[in-house]
Amino acid sequence: MLSYILKRSVYGVLVLFGVAMLIFAMFKLLPDPARMTMGQRPDVATIEAIRKAQHLDEPIYMQLAYYLNDISPVSIHEDTAENREEYAYTKLLGLGSNALVIKAPYLGRSMQNRKRVTEIIWEAVPTTAILGISAMLIASVIGILFGIIAALNQFKFLDNAILSTTVLGISQPSYFSGVVLGLVFGYWLADWTGLSNTGPLFEMVGLSDELTFQPKNLILPALALGIRPIAIIVQLTRSSMLDVLSQDYIRTARAKGLSKWMVIFKHGLRNAMNPVVTTISGWFASVLAGSFFIEIIFDCKGLGFQTVMALNNFDLPVIMGAVLFVATIFVTVNIFVDLIYGVLDPRVSYAA
Amino acid sequence: MSDLLLDVKNLETHFKTEEGLVKAVNNVSFSLNRRETVGIVGESGSGKSVTSLSVMRLIPDPPGKIVGGSINYYGDDGSVTDLTTLSEAEMRKYRGNEISMIFQEPMTSLNPVFTCGNQVIEAIRLHQNVSKQEAIDQTLALFEKVQLPTPERILKAYPHQLSGGQKQRVMIAMAMSCNPKILIADEPTTALDVTVQKTILELMANLKNEIDSSIIFITHDLGVIAEIADRVIVMYKGKIVEQGDVYSIFSNPQHPYTKGLLACRPPLNRRLSQLPTVSDFMREEDGQMIEVKASVEEMLSGFEITHEQHREHLNQLKKQEPLLEVRNLRTWFPSGKNFFGKTTSWVKAVDDVSFDVYPGETLGLVGESGCGKTTLGRSLLRLAPAREGEVIYRGKDILKLTKAEMKELRREVQIIFQDPYSSLNPRLTIGNAIMEPMQVHGVYDTDSQRKDRVVELLETVSLKAHHFNRYPHEFSGGQRQRICVARSLALNPKFIICDESVSALDVSVQAQVLNLLNELQNKLDLTYIFISHDLSVVKFMSDRMVVMNQGVIEEMGPADDICLNPQTAYTQRLISAIPKGLVEEIKVRKGV
Repeated sequence: MLSYILKRSVYGVLVLFGVAMLIFAMFKLLPDPARMTMGQRPDVATIEAIRKAQHLDEPIYMQLAYYLNDISPVSIHEDTAENREEYAYTKLLGLGSNALVIKAPYLGRSMQNRKRVTEIIWEAVPTTAILGISAMLIASVIGILFGIIAALNQFKFLDNAILSTTVLGISQPSYFSGVVLGLVFGYWLADWTGLSNTGPLFEMVGLSDELTFQPKNLILPALALGIRPIAIIVQLTRSSMLDVLSQDYIRTARAKGLSKWMVIFKHGLRNAMNPVVTTISGWFASVLAGSFFIEIIFDCKGLGFQTVMALNNFDLPVIMGAVLFVATIFVTVNIFVDLIYGVLDPRVSYAA
Repeated sequence: MSDLLLDVKNLETHFKTEEGLVKAVNNVSFSLNRRETVGIVGESGSGKSVTSLSVMRLIPDPPGKIVGGSINYYGDDGSVTDLTTLSEAEMRKYRGNEISMIFQEPMTSLNPVFTCGNQVIEAIRLHQNVSKQEAIDQTLALFEKVQLPTPERILKAYPHQLSGGQKQRVMIAMAMSCNPKILIADEPTTALDVTVQKTILELMANLKNEIDSSIIFITHDLGVIAEIADRVIVMYKGKIVEQGDVYSIFSNPQHPYTKGLLACRPPLNRRLSQLPTVSDFMREEDGQMIEVKASVEEMLSGFEITHEQHREHLNQLKKQEPLLEVRNLRTWFPSGKNFFGKTTSWVKAVDDVSFDVYPGETLGLVGESGCGKTTLGRSLLRLAPAREGEVIYRGKDILKLTKAEMKELRREVQIIFQDPYSSLNPRLTIGNAIMEPMQVHGVYDTDSQRKDRVVELLETVSLKAHHFNRYPHEFSGGQRQRICVARSLALNPKFIICDESVSALDVSVQAQVLNLLNELQNKLDLTYIFISHDLSVVKFMSDRMVVMNQGVIEEMGPADDICLNPQTAYTQRLISAIPKGLVEEIKVRKGV
């Protein structure tokens, strides 16, 4: 088990290395970043200075080395006061004028406001995390519940009604349902629902400087983000439940004299959940993607919002940092999901 | 207290299907006395399982429903209850408590996500008002009783960590947990090896005496019935065609179907040219049953080959050059790997095996599950990677052939697999399925020529030309296996490996397929390697026989010699475990 986690982590790091290479390659295809940083003021001396600072005057493999050195938690830097300030590292070993150090991955600074990219991401993460997790919670609870109801009423009216609704749910992208939900509940019916069309999850209220969490601004975006997962989870729970209920061990459970509900919930559901959990975790990833649109539509200042803004401004370090961060989340979630399998299904073995 | 325990009268269980109403159980009446074992025997679809599920009221509804009759249960206190009139909640008090059930598939009958202990404890606490600790103690005692090794370990083990026989013991422990009055066992040993089957049968007989219960034992194999039952009920197409005590059924069967079932089991002590089948005793014409008046013995002796004749045949075979020579074949699978993926330990599925196969011969390959016989068969065709050794076919080493040569070889050497249900593509008509290998190998120029050939093949395996455009699900298990045989014949092979090709079939259907294989061998000069866990089937089919155990050859020689005079303890154990269904043995057991 431990060896399995270790192995998966090593693979994870390799995947991230690949992602980093890809990001680097893609952004090298763009026009000169130094010029973009400068915006409208073509001043040769300044551009050269920026080039030098960002190592843009060096050959491409050196640039890659600098980039990887920056994002790696263990790296080598020139041991200067400047660098100490910029990278916030802890020195492990002195190597002449250089030092082997350990640090948080350094993603550079925004070209727009010179803010650290890590800081920008950190500020945005809570919004996206709350949005994604609540969307998946809503989707799981509603999805599994209606999935079971549909399975127990197979081919009857209730089953047909639930199934046809899910088809509707699957067919619309989140940016569409987002706009519709916002329009209906946040505008037309706003007087009754008390919800607003748009609004960030964290707001300064009144005269206070503190950001406070606004639960009412969460409802619509989370719902919009959750609609497709709900539909998928309903269908999956239904078919998985039907499959499990036709298994031999369900007959054994009934032959023991267990009541119908004990059979369904104890012996059935536990087995039916395996593929559902896979899907739910798989959708976590898709929800991150969906939140890019939803955050823009509902004006939530999360990771998606910041990335889209950065894209508009060609703010390269922010975009590269955000992509790398999302990739890290994907890899981590996937390892976590593989471990959950073992808890749900004792037949899964973690032979390395 | 009356001696009667269960009285089933005029039971009718019907299923609504797309093809119309199926009377799965049609006016069935039988009774079960205290401390009695009643065997219900019949082929698949005869209604024997539906009868038992009706008693448990576990018929899936829809589509099934008990539409008539009564099932009277006689309680210890003298009360009589008609189970068909009980509500679902009342019925639950009987299930698992008064009447419990063991199912056919131990592999799938236990819930994979709960420990074995938990599943037995659940049954105990459901019907008895005991503490958790007491239930655990009872479970351990039960595991001890069903002779499971290390009960404490099994208590915490998940089903997939146990062998098939051990799982069936857990099922029996669960069924016995509340000392039921009736134990219904639905083909409890069909999925198990003969050696395991023998121990399970003994265990059931012992436990029955210990807790003073009655058993309804359902099976398609009369041999098993002979070992365990007091009385026998023979079912055919939803009806009881014959019932009586076990001795008279075996010594003097009346109904032609019973005779057919008795005669179609391959005998160990004599050699037959072909097996009698049910259709030798009765056939249906225009809905009328026509009976052939003949006793089982008359039918068997009609097909008998003398020892001398067979010896002569063997000598003829051995005079030829071998068609296939296997030398020191080893197939190992990695079982343990270190962190960097390097194999540290191996499962030696086939370890240093050598034998010859002569043209026109059938070589039998027999052993318990996991002995390596299937891997051996696959290694010969490179379907499993051999590690070292030689497989020389017509002078060429198969293991060293190039891709093109291998394709050429696959025309000549075919394999027929175990499961006729999963080895046919459900979305391909059987005509196309048979035609496919011809298209791949470019046999014949046009599809219309190939179609003619398919029709010819269908007729060879006793199917009809109009079956060409049907899909696999429209056929029964036996018919599907015939289709698989036809498909393997499509390329005019010389050599066929039959890997447990009849193991998934009922005995009566098995006899038909075995006869077909023999007939084809004579007609087309085929050479077979016949792999099976069933020694009596292998003995019937093969000229010479190889007994395998844990990857190595235990014994090899003429099939008759091995069966009549086994040399190793392993072979002796295999042979003694086979339920032979001999009248003399029943006589001894029942003290008639």
